[in-house]
Amino acid sequence: MKNLGTPKDIFLESIRDCLGKNEGQPVIQRGNLSQSTWELQQLSEDLRLSLNKDIDGLTTKLSATAEARGWNVHHPVNMEGILDVISEITKKWGSTDITRTDQEVFYEYSIDSGLSNLGCKITTIARTDLQEDRIRLREDIISSGIGITGADYAVAETGSVVILPRKGLSRLVSVVPPVHIALVRKQDILRSLDDVFLLRRLDYHLGNDMGSYLNFITGPSRTADIEQTIVIGVHGPKEVHMLLLD
Amino acid sequence: MAEIKTKNFLASSQMAIKDPQLRQALEKVGTGFDGARREAIEEISEAKWEEWRLKAREIKEHTIENLDYYLDMLYTNVTKAGGHVHFARDDNEANAIVSKLVEANNIQIATKSKSMVSEELGLNGVLESLGVDVYETDLGEYIIQLAGETPSHLVAPALHKTKGQVASLFQDKLGIPYNEDIEAMAKTAREILRDKFLNADLGISGANFLVAETGSLVIITNEGNGRLCTSAPRIHIGITGMEKVIPSLEDLATFLRLLPRSATGQRLTSYVSIVTGPRRVTDEDGPEQFHLIIVDNGRSKMLADPKLREALYCIRCGACLNICPVYQKVGGHAYGWVYPGPIGSIVTPNLTVLQNAKDLPFASSLCGACREACPIKINIPRMLLNLREELVQPNSNANSTSKFSEDIAAKSYTKLMKHPGILKLGTMILTGLQKPFLKGGVISSVPIPPLSIWTRSRDLPKLPDKTFHQIWKDSLKDNQDNNG
Repeated sequence: MKNLGTPKDIFLESIRDCLGKNEGQPVIQRGNLSQSTWELQQLSEDLRLSLNKDIDGLTTKLSATAEARGWNVHHPVNMEGILDVISEITKKWGSTDITRTDQEVFYEYSIDSGLSNLGCKITTIARTDLQEDRIRLREDIISSGIGITGADYAVAETGSVVILPRKGLSRLVSVVPPVHIALVRKQDILRSLDDVFLLRRLDYHLGNDMGSYLNFITGPSRTADIEQTIVIGVHGPKEVHMLLLD
Repeated sequence: MAEIKTKNFLASSQMAIKDPQLRQALEKVGTGFDGARREAIEEISEAKWEEWRLKAREIKEHTIENLDYYLDMLYTNVTKAGGHVHFARDDNEANAIVSKLVEANNIQIATKSKSMVSEELGLNGVLESLGVDVYETDLGEYIIQLAGETPSHLVAPALHKTKGQVASLFQDKLGIPYNEDIEAMAKTAREILRDKFLNADLGISGANFLVAETGSLVIITNEGNGRLCTSAPRIHIGITGMEKVIPSLEDLATFLRLLPRSATGQRLTSYVSIVTGPRRVTDEDGPEQFHLIIVDNGRSKMLADPKLREALYCIRCGACLNICPVYQKVGGHAYGWVYPGPIGSIVTPNLTVLQNAKDLPFASSLCGACREACPIKINIPRMLLNLREELVQPNSNANSTSKFSEDIAAKSYTKLMKHPGILKLGTMILTGLQKPFLKGGVISSVPIPPLSIWTRSRDLPKLPDKTFHQIWKDSLKDNQDNNG
């Protein structure tokens, strides 16, 4: 589709007029955009090394910030522990209807049969090309009481779970059901927002797709729109659980 | 364009001051959001906060000075990701772009997450005239849409309403029993809007930031409505001002630290969504089309004026509103257009017509609290002075009567200060004269003009029993006594 408004060149020309600039006038680059891929690679390697040395410290920090932001943090959790936690949540909410994404972590920790044994109905939201299947899966997400996803990163600074868009990841599983459970592997814990963006930038500058959606989740859905009073659980989940996997 | 009522500032603010329910609603502005902001800064230390502010300001300065370059980069990268960028010079052009997209894609239902620019454009009215059912989904925006009102705050649009007023509104418009329990009201909105999200053809969002490096649109929300608006419908349109672009993802980190803390004292909002193009073929869900509309609508006026350029650094956190003694009294609607408070008093006259918004640059005591609170260190008081200057140029006949009385006042003041004897005599007489008017240590009403005008809505402080001169003399004497 073509540009429906003012052509780009004309729009930018008028901006240059306002700034008193000529076309093609060189821009003095600030640090980060002139970094080469090689530099980003070096920085990322250094980051990885320093993170690996401090997994325990980062886990402790993440648990504290995440709890302060409203996550229920469970730590440490092994295979059996995952099922215990989920089972408790299903009892609390009186719902055994679960949807999950099709992320890598579920191949490492295959929870489906365990959950079935507990009497849960678990639906995997996997990619499909058929429109009718897609509609059916969407209805499954809407009717489910619990959504389970993996996490690509967790951020100790902010208490966030970061989910990268990619094949197999539904955007809706972590926002539509009233309860969201995020499975976090300790080696995916980063120190700060800067770490996340460094890794994303490196990936992007290596020629990979940025992906359509990058999502930071920091606690449950909330609002303070009426009399500045905080209410938990508006359009998104009311309760969120972070499981730090062993 | 949204209706402009800036001419009525004085009348509207007087009405606002007399409105007891508004008083009650505004009471918590200073303690609530601003108190939380201060706590959040204390937690990370003043020094760190200052470091972030300087960094953010440097980024904004650089980006705005090279706005053409970064918009071009943004265009390239949005397009590369499969999205479409449309440039709109004014409100009519922006609304026409949306209308064309609506017609081409047979849009019946639209859900919106918060967008101040769409308020600027009066977009809801345009969509309705095309037969589109449009739903605001941010709780505050939903409330004011039901009430047929405009936002009164940048972050909390329904700040001017008490819970009782919202409960009556819900009873009235939604036909549900009156219940002023805030949690129950939020639940009602969830239930009603859930259905709209999932059936909408179009999701409209604003943008807190645009990242040139990756062609991304960033929205920061707490409720989750932004995530649903940008994920569930088959088309996503992002509408935002051209000043929202920042160079890289790395720069985004700084703004993610500053914005939530400044707005609500949160360390980070519940959600940060970074949207880059439409869903890919391999994606499970997400919109099939992504359109980004970049709006000028008067911003280039501020861009062209080096004195006003920094108004474009604003990230719409609302910190300057929360701390402003004028906003705290009159609320957002008195300002007469989309952007209220100190930053609004600069932005509004420039995006509308300065001559019709003459009172806004004067709606400030120039106390400087806004500049202190601003995460980008925008020099709001200086720009308000610049606008005042523009308004009282000799060829502008604004304030000619007040200029005359100001002249007399200034001349009398000079005379008094030059003659300490007259000053002393005058203060002695006034200290005696004030006695019949004193009530609880202040003078709350004087029947003689011009003081009667002042005391109509304010108190005069009592003249102290001892003047500064006397205290000074006494203390000198004490010192001498002590030393001697």
